[in-house]
Amino acid sequence: MSSNNNMSLKLKVWRQENEKAKGQMVDYSLEDVSPDSSFLEMIDQLNEELVEKGDEPVAFDHDCREGICGMCSMMINGQAHGPESETTTCQLHMRKFKDGDTIAIEPWRAKAFPVHKDLMVDRSSFDAIIQAGGYVSVNTGNAQDANSILIPKTDADLAMDAAACIGCGACVASCKNASAMLFVSAKVSQLALLPQGKVEAEQRVLNMVDKMDELGFGNCTNEAECEASCPKAISISNIARLNREFLSAAVKSRH
Amino acid sequence: MSTSLVARFGTSVVKKVAMGVTGLLLCGFLVSHLLGNFLIFVGADAFNLYAYTLTSNPLIYLAEAVLLSIFLVHLFMATKLVIENKKARPVPYYSKQPTGRGATIASSTMPYTGLVILIFLVLHLLHFKFGTNYDTTVDGVAMRDLYKTVIEYFKTPLNVAWYVIAMAALSMHVSHGFWSAFQSIGFNHPKYTPCIGTLSKVFAVLIFLGYSALPIFCFLQGGQS
Amino acid sequence: MSIKKLDGKVPAGPIKEKWDQYKFDMKLVNPANKRKFNIIVLGTGLAGASASATLAELGYNVKTFCIQDSPRRAHSIAAQGGVNAAKSYPNDGDSVWRLFYDTVKGGDYRAREANVYRLAQVSNNIIDQCAAQGVPFAREYGGTLSNRSFGGAQVSRTFYARGQTGQQLLLGAYSAMMKEVAKGKITSITRSEMVELVLVNGKARGVITRDIITGKFEKHAADAVLLCTGGYGNVYFLSTNAMTSNSSAAWKCYKKGAYFANPCYTQIHPTCIPVHGEGQSKLTLMSESLRNDGRVWVPKKKGDERKPADIPEDERDYYLETKYPSFGNLVPRDVASRNAKLVVDEKRGVGATGVAVYLDFRDAIKRDGKETIKAKYGNLFDMYNRITDADPYSEPMMIYPAVHYTMGGIWVDYNLQTSVPGLFALGEANFSDHGANRLGASALMQGLADGYFVVPYTLGNYLVTEKPEQESVTVDNKEFDDALKAAEAHFDKLMAVGGKRSVDSFHKALGLLMWEYVGMGRNEAGLKKGIEEIKKLRAEFWKDVKVTGTKEGINVELEKANRVADFLELGELMARDALERVESCGGHFREESQTEENEAKRDDENFCHVAAWEYAGDNSDPIRNIEELSFENVALTQRSYK
Repeated sequence: MSSNNNMSLKLKVWRQENEKAKGQMVDYSLEDVSPDSSFLEMIDQLNEELVEKGDEPVAFDHDCREGICGMCSMMINGQAHGPESETTTCQLHMRKFKDGDTIAIEPWRAKAFPVHKDLMVDRSSFDAIIQAGGYVSVNTGNAQDANSILIPKTDADLAMDAAACIGCGACVASCKNASAMLFVSAKVSQLALLPQGKVEAEQRVLNMVDKMDELGFGNCTNEAECEASCPKAISISNIARLNREFLSAAVKSRH
Repeated sequence: MSTSLVARFGTSVVKKVAMGVTGLLLCGFLVSHLLGNFLIFVGADAFNLYAYTLTSNPLIYLAEAVLLSIFLVHLFMATKLVIENKKARPVPYYSKQPTGRGATIASSTMPYTGLVILIFLVLHLLHFKFGTNYDTTVDGVAMRDLYKTVIEYFKTPLNVAWYVIAMAALSMHVSHGFWSAFQSIGFNHPKYTPCIGTLSKVFAVLIFLGYSALPIFCFLQGGQS
Repeated sequence: MSIKKLDGKVPAGPIKEKWDQYKFDMKLVNPANKRKFNIIVLGTGLAGASASATLAELGYNVKTFCIQDSPRRAHSIAAQGGVNAAKSYPNDGDSVWRLFYDTVKGGDYRAREANVYRLAQVSNNIIDQCAAQGVPFAREYGGTLSNRSFGGAQVSRTFYARGQTGQQLLLGAYSAMMKEVAKGKITSITRSEMVELVLVNGKARGVITRDIITGKFEKHAADAVLLCTGGYGNVYFLSTNAMTSNSSAAWKCYKKGAYFANPCYTQIHPTCIPVHGEGQSKLTLMSESLRNDGRVWVPKKKGDERKPADIPEDERDYYLETKYPSFGNLVPRDVASRNAKLVVDEKRGVGATGVAVYLDFRDAIKRDGKETIKAKYGNLFDMYNRITDADPYSEPMMIYPAVHYTMGGIWVDYNLQTSVPGLFALGEANFSDHGANRLGASALMQGLADGYFVVPYTLGNYLVTEKPEQESVTVDNKEFDDALKAAEAHFDKLMAVGGKRSVDSFHKALGLLMWEYVGMGRNEAGLKKGIEEIKKLRAEFWKDVKVTGTKEGINVELEKANRVADFLELGELMARDALERVESCGGHFREESQTEENEAKRDDENFCHVAAWEYAGDNSDPIRNIEELSFENVALTQRSYK
C-alpha cells in the first residue's frame, strides 16, 4: 500500500565492524518510507536496499517487535528509543517523523555495554547483575499453595510496576552517567515488596549493587532521565527504595 | 570481604548518600549563614557584633573544622562521581538530547554549578574572612569592622555582579540537590516527594533572593560605612 | 521403508493414577551421580528456562543456548493473557478433570489423553511454584490470587499478571536459571544458534552451534539434549512470532531422525492488527478479551468504501452474532478466524487493503460509558492507536487473523522423548498437548509443565535406563567432527550461491504461498499447487539467493538464509500433512470436509491419529507414520457453538 504521504529521510547511522574496530556515522538517504512503518521496518527497508547493492546491512538488535522482549535498542536523534514516551524503538512509528527529516541512529553507549557491531551492543552485564541476586532461592517443588502467601493488593501492584522492566538498557543509555540504578532497583523493589523476596532481601541488594558497581556502570545523580526514557515507565521511586534497602542492609549486615 | 557500611564506602549508593547528607548539612549552613548576614540590613554594629560573637567563641574552630570536613567530603565525593561517571561512558554520543521529561538544566549542570560555587567560596573567604582587617569598637569592645570590608568590596559593580551570578549557580545547585538528597537517602513517597520537590524550588529561590539582596543592598550604600 | 505405528508409551492404569504411578515406577538417579550428567538445553523460553533451572537444582550440569543476547528475551515473554490452572479458587466448579476435558475438547480430540490429564494435574503446581518465585500475579484486596475467565472458558481459571503474564512467568523461570548460573550449575551461552544435532550410536549426544558474534562453529557434548525452541509460525513470514523465532533447530533434529508430528496444525488468531503494507515485518496481537465487548462486522455490500460511521445499521453484517447466536462474538479462535476470511473472500473486507474486518466498540461505549471501556481496555486501545494512528473510541478497530501458534511439532512420547533416544522436546517445539487447536492461556501452562514438572522426572529415567555416560562420548568423537563439517558446509553452500535476490524476498514469497495454500482454508487442489510452488521457490532460492558479508563475524543475512532454507522445506511438509489429512479439525480446515453450516467436520473413522513424519532423505518423500489416538475418558463429539 504505497501512499502519497511516503517520506524521504536522511539517515546518519553508526557503523562499526566489530568490537575492536573504530566506528563512524555514515550517511544514507532513504526514499518512499511509509508513515505506517515502524522504525525497525524503516531500518529493514534500508537494509534491503543495502543488500540489493551488495553492501552489508546494518546490524541491530530486535526480536518480538511488540515492545516486550527488550531486544531493540537504538539511540534515535540522541534519545533512547526515540522521542516518544513509554515506547520501545519497535513501537515507534515513522509518522512521528516528517518528510525530509535527518535522523541520527546510534547504539547504546556505556562501558558496560560494549558495541558488538553497528547498533548491536552486549548487555550481558544485566544478566550478571541478576545472577548476583535477582531471584528468590526457591527450588522447583519447594512451593506451598499459592494462596497461603497473602499479599496486599497495593504491594502486589507496586511489585508488578517494578517487574514490568524489560531489561532493554534504555535507562543506562539515556543516563548521562550510564548508571544502571533503575534496572537494578526495579528487580530489588519487586522482590523487596513481596514476602517471598523478603527472606533474602538484605543479601540481595548488597550483592546486586556491588555487582553493578564492579561492572563499570556510573553513579545515579537523580536526574530521572532513566524514568523518562523507560518504555515501561519504571519509576525512580524504586531507586529510592533500593537506597533505603541498601542502607538498612549495610547497617544490619552481620559481616 | 567485610561488608560493613564503612567497607562499603566506595559503593555507588553510599557515595550518593554521602553527597546527599553533606549537601543537606551544607543547606543548613546556608540558612544560618544567611540569617546572620541579614544583620547587615540592621547596621554595622549589629553585623560586626554578630561576627565578633561568632569568631571569639573558641568552639568556632571546632565548628569550622566540622564544616570544612563536610564540605571536603561533598567535594571529594563529587569529584569522584564526576570522574567515575565520565569513565562509565568512554565513547560519547554523536548526538545526545534530553527527553525533556526528566533532567533539568539544574540537574544536568550540577558539576559546573558546583565548580562555580567552589571558586566563589575560595574568593569569598579571601575577600572577607581573610580580607582587609579594619578595626572598630562596639559598646567599648574592640573588634574587626567586617562591615566596612564588605561594603568596600561591594562598591565595585563587577563584584556585585559576580556575587549574584554565583548565587544563581548556588540556587540552581540546591534546587536539584535538596530534593535529590532525599531521594539518595531513600526517602521517596507519593504523598511527600512532590512537596519536597516544591520545597526544593522555593528554598532555591529564597536562597538566591536572600543572598543576592546582600551585595545589592551594600552596593546601594555607595561605599559609605 | 514402511509406515510405522508409533507407541506413545502411555503407562497403564486409570488416567487419574497414570502419572503418579509412573513417577513411582521410574528409576531415580542417585544424587551423587547427577553431577556426572551433562544436559544441553536449546532455547530459554518457558520450557527451556524452567527445565534448565529445575535440572540444575537437581544437580545435573546444564548448558543452555539461546539466540538472543539474554535468556530473558525468548518469545514466551510476549504472551499476554494468562496461564490456566485447575485451582478452582473462585469456587466455580473447576477441577483437574474439567481442565483436562476442556483441553481435549478444545483441541478437537487430536491430543493424547494421558498427556493432557498430566498437564491439568501439574497446572496447580505451576501456580504455586511461580508465586513462590515472586511472580507478581494479580491479586484481590484480600491478598489472594485473582482469576479471570479467558478464551471462552466457562470457569475462571486463568491467572494473570496484567497483560504481561508471559513476561512475568518467563522472568520467574529466567531468575531461577540465573540463580543456578551463579552456582555454576548452568552455563548460559547466548547469541548462539544450534545448527546440527550430533548422534552417537543412534543417541542424541550433543549439538553443533554457531556463535552469532564470531561466526564460529562449536561442538558441545552431553548425555541428553532438550529441544525447547518454540514453534514454526514464522514459516508464514508474517506472524505474531518474534523475528528470530524459527524452526531450524527442530528441523535439524527432524533430519536426524526425530519425527515431525502434525505440521499442518497451525493456530490463526482472530484479533490481530491488519497488515499495513509491503514493508510490514510482523503482526501484533490484540488481546482476545476485546471480543467480550467489541462487535465484529463488515458491510453487507461488496466493495463498500464508505466510512464505517456512514454505514447505517441495516447495512452492517454482524456475521458472528447472526451465525452463532449463542456464542456470538465469543466463538473460539479458529471459528472467528475462518469467518473473517470468508467475508474478506466475498470482497466485503474493510480498510485500505480490504483485508480486515471491523471490531466495533460503539455500542459498548454507549451502554457502559467511555470511562468503563477505557478502564477495561485502555492499554489495548492505546497500543492500537500507537500502531495504526486511529482512535478506537471514535471509530471501529480493524482486525484480521494472523498466524499465532503452531500445535504441530516434534513428535514425543509420554516421556517427552522424541523418536531419537536422548532427544527430548518441550513446550511449543513438541507436537504438544493441544491437539489440533490450542485454548487461550494454555501455552504458558504447557511450557512450564514440561520444564518444571515432567522432564525432570522422565529425563532421569532415561539416564538410568540407557546409561549414556558409559559410552564416554566427548567432542573429540568423530561424529562431532563430521557434524561440524556438515554444518559448515551447509553455511558455505549458502554463502556460495551468489545470486541476486535477498533472503527476505524469498521468505516473503514463501509466506504468501503458505498463507494462500496452507492458510485458514485448505483444499486438495490448492495444497497440491502449493507443494509445487514451494518446491519451485526452494529451487530458485538455491540458485538465486544473495547472502552478503562473510562467514566470519556477525552476519544477519547468513543467519536468516539458514532459517529460510529450512522454512522452505518445512513449508512443503506442512502442505503434505494438510493434504493427507482429509478432514477438518481445530486449526486445520479442509474445505472438502465441512458441515452444511461451513463448520469443521472431523473424520474420526480415518484420522483419529497423530501423523508423525519421518525424514527419508532429500530426494525421497517423507514417510507418514501414525500414532493412533484412543479416547477412553472423553467422548468424541462435534464441537458446536451455535
